[in-house]
Amino acid sequence: MAIYEVFLKKDGRDEFRHVGALDAATDELALVSARECYVRRGEGDRIWLVERTAIVTSTPDFVAPNHHKPHRHHGGEAVAQRRRELREQDAADQSAAT
Amino acid sequence: MMGQQHTEWIGVAPFLEEDLAFASIGQDELGHAALLFEVLVGSDDQAIDELAFYREPDAWRSCHLTEMPLSDWADTLVRHWLYDAGEELRWQLFAESSLSALRDVANRALQEERFHRRHGDALLDALLKVDDARARISPSLASILPSALAMFDGVVEEAEAVAQGAIAAPFASCLPAWRDRVDERFGAQDWSTITTADGDRTTRHSDFGALLARLREVFDLDRTAVW
Repeated sequence: MAIYEVFLKKDGRDEFRHVGALDAATDELALVSARECYVRRGEGDRIWLVERTAIVTSTPDFVAPNHHKPHRHHGGEAVAQRRRELREQDAADQSAAT
Repeated sequence: MMGQQHTEWIGVAPFLEEDLAFASIGQDELGHAALLFEVLVGSDDQAIDELAFYREPDAWRSCHLTEMPLSDWADTLVRHWLYDAGEELRWQLFAESSLSALRDVANRALQEERFHRRHGDALLDALLKVDDARARISPSLASILPSALAMFDGVVEEAEAVAQGAIAAPFASCLPAWRDRVDERFGAQDWSTITTADGDRTTRHSDFGALLARLREVFDLDRTAVW
């Protein structure tokens, strides 16, 4: 038996989503099981089954160092704050000059 | 009847995936039965319930193959395959009926039955390669083949239905095709030694009463309940 991860997609622009896993002895059994276990109420229009051992992955420490790098976030708060300060400085300079 | 038998494996099939798959297939069969009842009495729910739950045993047209209790998984899998192989041929006959409502049901059922057979075949493809599994399936096949063969014996009033065009031909006309499928799936059988018992197709099995009681167990709790 092998473990297969099950992904479903609705027709249209939605992406494939992971919905669960199942045990099966062959690819064909995995397909017929997935059909009756995960799509019996029409939850998806397309199905991907991926043997868990075929997934390329790593341990959590592989990505952990990237968790705290605010400078890589695109929120723009730091730049907005800097521009606000510059605007206020400009206004203060002008009113001091007049 | 076959749908009820299959769904009773929920929770006790050999593994979780099969548990769900087999009960789901059973649900399809119950759905097909409901569609056939609708062809007979229209969409009146009460009339359908009356046919499905409260007919006298003599008024049923089921066969021993679907009525007999099986507690062994190998027996059940073999019955599933043998029944579905026959059922496809029968739906094909119904698809040529003079009754358009019956043709519609048959065409819909044929779409779903493809997947039932794929399920049975996928299991058998995997299991028949394993010595231990094959050793369990062989005696199951030998014990169930006679009842399965009896599916093709004439059911009461079949000749009349054929004469009126409701069915394109007697079900027995499909027997050679079914035997070929069995031979192809399980190896050549010595058909001359396999005989059906009188009444397998025309009388109710001794377990029928108990099976029918289980089928309507929930319904009997409150016949007037709205679900």
